Amino acid sequence: MRPFAFSRADSVDHAAHQTAPTAAFVAGGTTLLDLVKLDVMRPTALVDINTLPLKRVERLDDGRLKIGALVTNTDLAHHEEVKAHYPVLSQALLAGASTQLRNMATTAGNVMQRTRCPYYRDPAAACNRRAPGSGCDARDGINRMHAVLGGSTDCVAVHPSDMCVAMAAIGATLTLKGPDGEREVAFGEFHRLPGDTPHIEHDLRDGELITAITLDAPLVPAGSHYLKLRDRASYEFALASCAAQLSLDGELIGEARVALGGVATKPWRCAEAEAALVGQPAEIASFERAAEIALADARPLAHNGFKVTLAKQAIVRALREAARCAGETQEASA
Amino acid sequence: MNDMTQSAFHKPKVVGQRTPRVDGEFKLTGRAGYTGELHVEGMLYGYPVPATIANGELEALELDEALAMPGVVDIFHHGNFPKLHRSPNSMGHGDQVSEVRLPFEDERIYYHGQYIALVAAESFEQARAAAQRVVARYRQKTGAVSSLLDGDHDSDEEGQLLESAGSSRGDPEAAFDGSAVKIDEVYHIAAESHLQMEMHATLAEWQGEKLVVHESSQGVFYQRNAMARIFDMPQEHLEVISHYIGSGFGNKLFMWPHAVATAGAARELGRPLKVVLPRQQDMMSGGNRPASRQRIRLGADREGRLTSVIHDSTTETSLVDQYVDACGSATPSFYACDNLAVSQRILPVNHGTPCPMRAPGEVSGIFALETAMDELAVALEMDPVELRLKNYAESDPSSGLPWSSKQLDKCLQSAAERFGWAQRNPQIGSMRDGDEIIGYGMASCTWFAGRQPCEARVELRADGTLFAACGTQDIGTGTYTIVAQTVAELTGVKLSDIEVKLGETSLPAGPLSGGSMATATTLPAVAAAVRDALSALKEVATGSGGAFEGADADSLTVADGAFSDGNRTVSFADVLAANRLASVNGKGSSAPGDEQGEYSFRSFGAHFVEVRFDPGISRVRVARVVSTMDIGRAINPPTARNQVEGGIVMGIGMGLFEKLDYDPRDARLINSNVADYIVPVHADAPEIDVELLDYPDFKFNEFGARGVGEIGLTGIAPAISNALYHATGKRYRDLPVTIEALLADQRSA
Amino acid sequence: MDDSVHSSPNKSPLGTGDGEPLTVNFTLNGKATSLQVAPNAVLLDVLREQLQLGGTKKGCDHGQCGACTVHVDGQAMNSCLRLAAMCEGQHVTTVEGLSRDGELHPVQQSFLECDAFQCGYCTPGQMMSASALLADERIGTDDASVKEAMSGNICRCGAYKNILEAIQQARLAYDATAERGSVQRKEGAA
Repeated sequence: MRPFAFSRADSVDHAAHQTAPTAAFVAGGTTLLDLVKLDVMRPTALVDINTLPLKRVERLDDGRLKIGALVTNTDLAHHEEVKAHYPVLSQALLAGASTQLRNMATTAGNVMQRTRCPYYRDPAAACNRRAPGSGCDARDGINRMHAVLGGSTDCVAVHPSDMCVAMAAIGATLTLKGPDGEREVAFGEFHRLPGDTPHIEHDLRDGELITAITLDAPLVPAGSHYLKLRDRASYEFALASCAAQLSLDGELIGEARVALGGVATKPWRCAEAEAALVGQPAEIASFERAAEIALADARPLAHNGFKVTLAKQAIVRALREAARCAGETQEASA
Repeated sequence: MNDMTQSAFHKPKVVGQRTPRVDGEFKLTGRAGYTGELHVEGMLYGYPVPATIANGELEALELDEALAMPGVVDIFHHGNFPKLHRSPNSMGHGDQVSEVRLPFEDERIYYHGQYIALVAAESFEQARAAAQRVVARYRQKTGAVSSLLDGDHDSDEEGQLLESAGSSRGDPEAAFDGSAVKIDEVYHIAAESHLQMEMHATLAEWQGEKLVVHESSQGVFYQRNAMARIFDMPQEHLEVISHYIGSGFGNKLFMWPHAVATAGAARELGRPLKVVLPRQQDMMSGGNRPASRQRIRLGADREGRLTSVIHDSTTETSLVDQYVDACGSATPSFYACDNLAVSQRILPVNHGTPCPMRAPGEVSGIFALETAMDELAVALEMDPVELRLKNYAESDPSSGLPWSSKQLDKCLQSAAERFGWAQRNPQIGSMRDGDEIIGYGMASCTWFAGRQPCEARVELRADGTLFAACGTQDIGTGTYTIVAQTVAELTGVKLSDIEVKLGETSLPAGPLSGGSMATATTLPAVAAAVRDALSALKEVATGSGGAFEGADADSLTVADGAFSDGNRTVSFADVLAANRLASVNGKGSSAPGDEQGEYSFRSFGAHFVEVRFDPGISRVRVARVVSTMDIGRAINPPTARNQVEGGIVMGIGMGLFEKLDYDPRDARLINSNVADYIVPVHADAPEIDVELLDYPDFKFNEFGARGVGEIGLTGIAPAISNALYHATGKRYRDLPVTIEALLADQRSA
Repeated sequence: MDDSVHSSPNKSPLGTGDGEPLTVNFTLNGKATSLQVAPNAVLLDVLREQLQLGGTKKGCDHGQCGACTVHVDGQAMNSCLRLAAMCEGQHVTTVEGLSRDGELHPVQQSFLECDAFQCGYCTPGQMMSASALLADERIGTDDASVKEAMSGNICRCGAYKNILEAIQQARLAYDATAERGSVQRKEGAA
């Protein structure tokens, strides 16, 4: 852990102006300090943003939910608005990490989480994401945990977040504040596919700070489910996960939202699978067809072929559970 | 002696009773000082620099930048580290080490994580920062062997055959060929990490010619003896201390190079030095259970009687030492069978040296054997419990000796009944609950019972307290508490008035805390020391000016910390006070005796496991474990049960999760952290019901205790894989049983 | 912690240079504490080395095992992933602050009675998580919820069964002492 300077930001505007390219904001610190200790991240200065006024969760007039960047994962998971209107987000948050880490980690920090690729985390390994142009040791190495969707020749690292998978399914907008003012970015466009520039992970410019994430208005009436599949029962990154939301129109599917985690280089919205579900009966055969579509472009490596099947299983089961919830909601309101 | 001390352990009052740990409050309030959190005046912090390749040579170290960093005092490496002697590395002489190669001995790199330098700095932060700025240049060699389980090495003929580690009886090959029913399969187990919660740690302080070393150690005397050879100094000039150990599971039995590096650097620095291995380095260079490849051949007649057992094992060792993980060591004693052969090979790989890990060898061997037995039961269409009873060994078939005490049949029956084995429908996949298929599986388990030589000292003090000391260790098994119980049993002194000291080489020589031997080894010596002290005190009491002057010493009885002659009762304290004595001492020793040639000593048990498999999402969870163990007497039943329960949890890890991943291209270890090396967490803990039978084994020692640390782990992994067979119809012969293995032949549902 | 915090004092940037020590003021086990720390000093190391409070353990140093769990403003956190400098103005409680006036905390008492440990190394972290959990109304009281909430604390000795039993036993004593709810959650403010 190399030496660095430390300061505390006293306002959002100030924070957005004071950061040099080699500086980093620290909020929960759960990713940053982990990687600084490994010498993977080498900031020369840290700016502590924990006292900034970005801890509010508020329902907007248009039905959307605005979440301050510094709301912790724990508080967001247990927030009444989230539990009532975005249960899939609450489930995803609680499926992530541990109680302690959720108490520390923030909403924006979770979006900025780095990959768990062991070669990325080892400065002695070749990794285009960490050291552009150095190569990718994962592609022909041990790649059980790696992506089957969205990978490139240069990088197949998985985006590790659970929260982001739910947000991808829900739909959201990030508010970014930087030296040039404030701008908004759609959640689905924030994370970049690795392509030939895997070191550019997201659409955040130097000095910019995520100040809020605003969830789209909830799908109603709907059922949802977040299913995370992993080796052990808790406290492990996903091998495959699925956030599913469905609304029902009688026996048929009205709207559907499906996103995958653990299998892709970014939080993975499955738009074609969603389209294929609309108007179909809410039954296993429909879910299986959607799963096949969602994984049609999968490109497995030597050790992660099982993820293709596992992801399909996650989709089918998550949709089944979402449909069951939606059915109950429909019955209750009938 | 005609008092309570004579047959105290046949109807004991304290021994065998639930006793809260006497060191509990220290551990629970944060006051127990584990090695890594100790401080001495003037102490520096050391941070090792690990090699980033697994095979090659260190060409150059660039140290200028690191040396110039604030707080850095020095950096040690091949070029400047003092020349030392290798330990003779002998179990017999008590100077065994885990890895015989000395740190920085030459420029060769044999494994990823091998130390290439050690930074010493004023603060931990400074030492770590500088270690990360040490630049190493290597000449990397191709051809690193990443694992025994790589395709290239996965054959019967790989590795070096160790004739001395094999055994046979009868004509196993011919008997196998002629058997009516045969099983012939190969089993693989991945390398595992001990992942003890407290990393290896050393604090070394030279006091003139003397060296005081605090080490998280399961064997302080072994470390002292080895260090004396390595630093070429008298044993009396060395003290090794280990009061609290954040467990070890075998990788703290024998010293590792980090301790030598720390002590050597401290001498050069002229200041005390503390090194706590970072977790990553602990996993790379602080020991592992080697991967194993086992072939089992079982032959049986149509009635299920074993006609032949052939167990061939190959395990990994490193290129810098020879470690043998004897997988077949329990096999010759397990089942009654006249024709049997066990063989053992080792294959050097580019890993840090493997070492014993909880139930070393046997746990791997029992996985293969007990899975094969399940396969045989299926082939015979016989209940697996019945098959085991049919081949029950009434005496030890490996030696022909009678068992000192064996209750495996009762274990099988009791555990089966509590589990509800009779409700099992043997039809594959026939038991369902919603999305889940329920699988039932079972396995027997065993671990040998051994004793080592041991000495102990006891002091009866004028303030009424009692002090007991032995240079063994408490690694979390509860040794402090059972020593106190022993003293309390023999003296009637309250537990709160008994002070127990362990884990120092200044104390009487005690055993390794390993192999489930510490209890049976330590307590007889402690009992002998107590009796010796009581005899000495009786002499005082009956001698001139004594509280019972002129009485026959043998007529005095002992109870509640006092002597009585039938009329008067005088406390130990008053006896000492009457003669103005501060204390009397007693010494005791014990060792294995004639019983070793008369009986065979082993603990046995049975595990019954319920797994839940959800094929729609390829998820398997262990839902329930019911176990019965015959370990002789449990000195402290809750702590003994805790050992078995902990073994069960570790067995779930072995069965389903644990695997050290060495990159096949270059043998680099890529999951040396607690997130990527998966062990069970709270949510994985099943419903566990452990029963300890109470058949004291007085042929083994007067306590009737055989030890309990290892046995709970043995047999869990095969019980899980057998349950998975019941659920899925697929046989899992490779550990861990991963999701990808479960998914093979499955489809989404 | 609500939005008003940003108007608290001590908000001026410290502007420390490369590795220059800085001062951090916080409450440690009920006592006001002022320390000079390196900017890259981690709370766990400051506790164990600088303050010589060894009860908080280092098991992985990367937020993967839970042995370093402390309470920060009443919430369980991994002290290995928190810079000491980030604790300005906060209340930090370690296992050394769990017992009061020589009396074991109900969680400590139940851990002793249930033999909820072996080597004892993960135990302070287990107890800090357990005591935070018992005070947190958002976490269910059934065994499955407790096991899930405790899964950030690895016990390699595998004493999970007894730890669960100890937590559920302590809950009875805990409810009685009405400490439950004394830790106000940020929910309302957020």
